[in-house]
Amino acid sequence: MTSKVFISLRLPIDPMGAFDAFTREISSWWRPDPLFRITAQGDGELAFEPGIGGRLVTHLDNGETFEIGRISAWEPGRRLVFGWRQSSFSPEQSTEVEVCFEPVGKETRVSIEHRAWDTIPQRHAARHGFPEHVTLQRVADWWRRSLAALLGGLRPAG
Amino acid sequence: MSAPSVDLTLAALADPHRRGVIDLLRQRPHRAGELAQAMRLSFPAMSRHLRTLRRSGLVEEGRDEFDSRVRIYRLRPDAIASLRSWLAETDAMWARQLLALKAHVQKARK
Repeated sequence: MTSKVFISLRLPIDPMGAFDAFTREISSWWRPDPLFRITAQGDGELAFEPGIGGRLVTHLDNGETFEIGRISAWEPGRRLVFGWRQSSFSPEQSTEVEVCFEPVGKETRVSIEHRAWDTIPQRHAARHGFPEHVTLQRVADWWRRSLAALLGGLRPAG
Repeated sequence: MSAPSVDLTLAALADPHRRGVIDLLRQRPHRAGELAQAMRLSFPAMSRHLRTLRRSGLVEEGRDEFDSRVRIYRLRPDAIASLRSWLAETDAMWARQLLALKAHVQKARK
């Protein structure tokens, strides 16, 4: 049983450029959203501290720095894995985000897998013939299928 | 009991035995003894898992309607709903962020 969110999008740039944009320029493209807040003070200005053991942090308006997660894989142009914790989580609880950069011709497919508790690495569906022309592909397996079943199964009892 | 928080829910579901309990409780409420037997765990071990699941808000404890000495366990729908909404929000959040990244890359190349 796994619980994860999987989403991918093609970018008009090579994998190294996509990796650089994702990491170095995150403060330029990140869009805060009132419905999904990293901290109670908002999202702040996100920044990666490069390399394994580095961190993804956010600098808040009040001068504080909040650690979103530790970086556990840093492979420029290929792969990035970091922890993901919102301030509403307890200190010991974290989820994990894996970002993969795969060349598609002169472009790059960037895929994000956000794993909630099943952290066994899995081969990406993208490597097994994702539709080429789909620009925004979303697969979210357990939570959609099993949780829907779970909720369905609850109705007769509750 | 207040609304269960998603981090407690995720922590509770991090254990395969507890996920097994959730799967069993999806079918119907169970007694603690039945759960221990089905999961091949000792009664004290199952009690510990049930305590964690109760604290997470995923599961609630009640009394058997025929024998009030017997405790039965069942799922709480609102805990599952809060997990589901967190996952849906996470999915929507990354979709938005990737589109923002794409717009950023396109702008930089012009």
